[in-house]
Amino acid sequence: MITKTRRLVMMLIVMLWGVTATAADWPEFLGPRGRGAATDQAIRTRWSEADGIAWKAELPGRGASSPIVVGDLVVVTASSGARQDQLHIVAFDKASGRTVWHRRFWATGRTLAHPTSAVAAGTPASDGKRILALYSSCDLFAVDLAGRLLWQRNLAVEHPRSGNDVGMGSSPRIVDRTAVVQIDCQGDAFALGVDAATGEDRWIVPREKLASWSSPLPVTTPEYGTCVLLQGPHGLDLHRAADGKTVWSWKGDISAIPMTTESGSMLHVPADGIASVSPTAGDAKPAWRSTKLSCGIASPLAWGDSIACINRAGVLCVGDVADGRLRGQVRLAGSFWASPILAGNTIIAANKEGKTFLISTDGEPKIIAENELPGTFTATPAVADGSVYLRSETALWKVAAP
Amino acid sequence: MRQGARRIAVWFCLAVVAELSTHAAVLAADGTPQNVAEAVAIATELAKATGTSGQAALAAQADRISGIPADWIVPCLAAFADASPAGGNWLRSSIERAVERAGDSLSADALTAVVADRKQPARVRTLAFGWLKDRNHSRADGLLDGMLDDPALDLRREAVEKQLAAVATADETAQKATHQKCLAAARDIDQIERIAAWLSEHGEKVNVALVLGFVRNWRVSDAFDNAKGVGFAKAYPPEAALPARPETGPWKAVASADKHGAIDLNAAIETKKGVLAYAVAEVVMPRGGPAEVRIGSPCAVAVWVNGKPVMAHEIYHASEAIDQYGAMAEFREGTNTVMVKCCQNEQTEPWAGDWKFQLRICDSIGSPLATQPAQEKMVE
Repeated sequence: MITKTRRLVMMLIVMLWGVTATAADWPEFLGPRGRGAATDQAIRTRWSEADGIAWKAELPGRGASSPIVVGDLVVVTASSGARQDQLHIVAFDKASGRTVWHRRFWATGRTLAHPTSAVAAGTPASDGKRILALYSSCDLFAVDLAGRLLWQRNLAVEHPRSGNDVGMGSSPRIVDRTAVVQIDCQGDAFALGVDAATGEDRWIVPREKLASWSSPLPVTTPEYGTCVLLQGPHGLDLHRAADGKTVWSWKGDISAIPMTTESGSMLHVPADGIASVSPTAGDAKPAWRSTKLSCGIASPLAWGDSIACINRAGVLCVGDVADGRLRGQVRLAGSFWASPILAGNTIIAANKEGKTFLISTDGEPKIIAENELPGTFTATPAVADGSVYLRSETALWKVAAP
Repeated sequence: MRQGARRIAVWFCLAVVAELSTHAAVLAADGTPQNVAEAVAIATELAKATGTSGQAALAAQADRISGIPADWIVPCLAAFADASPAGGNWLRSSIERAVERAGDSLSADALTAVVADRKQPARVRTLAFGWLKDRNHSRADGLLDGMLDDPALDLRREAVEKQLAAVATADETAQKATHQKCLAAARDIDQIERIAAWLSEHGEKVNVALVLGFVRNWRVSDAFDNAKGVGFAKAYPPEAALPARPETGPWKAVASADKHGAIDLNAAIETKKGVLAYAVAEVVMPRGGPAEVRIGSPCAVAVWVNGKPVMAHEIYHASEAIDQYGAMAEFREGTNTVMVKCCQNEQTEPWAGDWKFQLRICDSIGSPLATQPAQEKMVE
């Protein structure tokens, strides 16, 4: 009996190990569950091109997508060619920066994008077994950790009027074994949930025919279970991950680029400042609203009892997540396309011009370091094992752990 | 012509397959094809992939292709000729894995033959060129010397770049001659713009709109209602009785002086929101048959050729670019009529004010085909 129980427990451990990214991973846009926080990690405070860099790798093309960290791999997407129709997924060895594998595909959809965006703007997502890459051409590829193509969905072939010539920027998510993509555009707009293992449809829901650059966000509530939140310019919709059923909606004028974050069972929505709403039935009125917490392009960051936003003027504002009260602010510099993330008690905010600000969250927000690297940086950084990964338009940098 | 070329390419590949089959080693029973003919058959099936189910089986077939020996790779490239969008990627990812495994055992001679064979599909030759470059850079570079008129757009682009780089330190006369030669050869917009800018800086004014072949002389209708976007799907008189007859109605002659051939409807009619207008042009085609209509506009547009609908895109103010939308249309030799419907919405943002379009008619690599009477010189 004991042996049987032990065997069952062992089997469960093995199964969970197989389907779950490890704690040291940064497996998707804004890290685990898209919350942007690695509170258990301490990072070095000073680096430059000549100091504190573990390695630098040249990339085969352009991109605004973030690197992800899965096991021993750091994975980045890019596009290249005169028409930006060559799509790349590159896996680097986390320790050395050596290229482990490099897969190339042809885009099957539109590849026009505004110069500030890119065809490889969506960050890949991994469940620890496979890596999903979504491009502005609406091509979705799933490869295993050895770079074998497992399945693909050419969504612009399936839905010929999908896409956006400004550039689609939404990242895929894997929620409860369902891979979810959000195709918000003026043409064929939809959200699709497919079996992450096979690429076969689980559900599809139509979306408002308007462009947005938000990504699906995994949200679990006691009422509705495991869900995915989709944000559009005119509201939020919470869908059950398993079957796509809409279980909750909220109407409001929401920013098209920065995306909602969640903490303490509340959703913090970039809507004329921040509106904090509860995803529960009949509870449509925000618990609080603050116009002092305002997002430009970058998404808000919530952790513990705090929330932070970088506004269009490059000012980082920190507030109380319970009531939206402004606690303090600090002026950064430059323009911010990358979202702020948290490592330990330090906010990492990387501007487009290559300067990364480290801001202490102990008490009043305070800049503790400004570290500069050459290049144009629009990708949100990643953190794993105390190392920071910064992706410029042409290179990937690993900042060594302290 | 295209059918004939394809037939020759298929015969060539079959001959290679037959030759290799006689030497094929039987490989270990790990799923790897037993001979080159089987590998080509698997590659051909993989290239036909469509649909969303059964992809695990495709992945297994791709694994089999990834294990083929180096001298089977080139014969398998024939499968790209009729590949579906998904099939092209299945095949590419599996063959590139085989190429990686093959390393230097992949014959540079075989790759050179593929690159040099203009009857092969452009993307096959481009792939082979990249693999050759990885293995023998100077040999690949040498091939570019004869590629200024290549039908493979990416190879032609590299050939142009090589020519320009070669004269970067030459005297101005040699540079001018090379830039003029490259201007005639280039098909990518950014490359054409760069060459034209250099020539203009060196005293030779380039008419970029003419080089790119924009249709610049139009007759433009009055404005029709498009409040709340209702006009896009509504057939106003110009499209209700096709082909439109601008010479018989109150249409205004408009000639574009824009560098990129844009017809500015705000200037031609009046700066308005929630309206649409039609524009009609007569173009002369050197031969009958299919050609690609390419249009760029920040507004919703629809296009007809000789009264037949060609394309419609109901997208407002989500970027604009030269050649933003393209579609094939059937033309007759000589005079043809092109009609554009260009719709403006009611967005009030400062970046949503443009109401314009630009249009050209090209072959598959962007060589302009249509002309209009009384054209100027491309370079003065």
